[in-house]
Amino acid sequence: MIYDIAGLRIKIENRCSYTENFCKAYLSKDQTSPTDLSVKVTVDEFRAEKEISGNFSDGYVENICLYRNICKQIPLLNRILLHAAVLEYDGNGYAFLGRSGTGKSTHTGLWLKHIPNVRIINGDKPILQATENGFLAYGTPWMGKEGLGCNASTPLKGLCFLEQAPENSIRRLIPSEVSARLFTQILLPQDEENVVATLELVDRLIMNTPAYLLRCNISEEAVQTSFEEMTGLNYQNIKKN
Amino acid sequence: MKLKKGFVIRVVGGESVVVPVGELSKTFHGMINLNETGAFLWKFYNEEHTVEEGVAALCGEYDVAPEQAEADVRKFVETLQANGFTE
Repeated sequence: MIYDIAGLRIKIENRCSYTENFCKAYLSKDQTSPTDLSVKVTVDEFRAEKEISGNFSDGYVENICLYRNICKQIPLLNRILLHAAVLEYDGNGYAFLGRSGTGKSTHTGLWLKHIPNVRIINGDKPILQATENGFLAYGTPWMGKEGLGCNASTPLKGLCFLEQAPENSIRRLIPSEVSARLFTQILLPQDEENVVATLELVDRLIMNTPAYLLRCNISEEAVQTSFEEMTGLNYQNIKKN
Repeated sequence: MKLKKGFVIRVVGGESVVVPVGELSKTFHGMINLNETGAFLWKFYNEEHTVEEGVAALCGEYDVAPEQAEADVRKFVETLQANGFTE
């Protein structure tokens, strides 16, 4: 079937029905026009992933492989996968990044709790598209084990790297600091053309998007700290009662 | 000494980054960060050169004492060889 994902027409050739159900909100109304890319999973890829995943169903394993194969092809189409949670507030997107266990879902949960009209674009694996006016972050069917996200896109206005700390503080990161942190949160393809495209896209992302290091606890003040620095707005004026 | 084919080197966020591609990416996962000298030597050893030639090139490019340059080049070459990056 053909799906509209991240502004691309993607043909997914799956064996297991799992993926059809998983991607149904993204099914294209146009099943005949040409596609931007097509993906399937080879027997070897499936076996290798099955070995790592162990207990998961064949459909789940195939589904993981399909997204990885999509994401390895999209750099040549000006897009990259980012391991992050992207929230939207007032028409602008903010990405929160950190190794698992650093409190990404806790912090984004605090945004949802305390700030009105916030929505999750993708809670785990958004696709970013480079445009003339910066990057767009897309929701995709793949959005982490909590399944939080929607079929929408938002202009990315900030990258916020999280670290746990007793006191809340935030500062801007310089490009070299962002580079080291960002590379652990992207997917590197194997073929030279897509690797080169990935590196160029990451460079553009670093040079065009403000990045911050948020050291935070789990209090409301943590939300105020990241919100005010990234949006430039006064938290007290907008927060929920 | 010469680097294997199959690496891409680019400046990302002002930092030089090396990533394996193709066959090499199957055996070496991840990426390498290089400082300015490292990036210079990486490009230099894309062609066959001896350690002595590397030292001479480094001294010609940067204001560095020959003893320091030799120590740097030897360390660089040893690291590449230990990781199997050389032909």
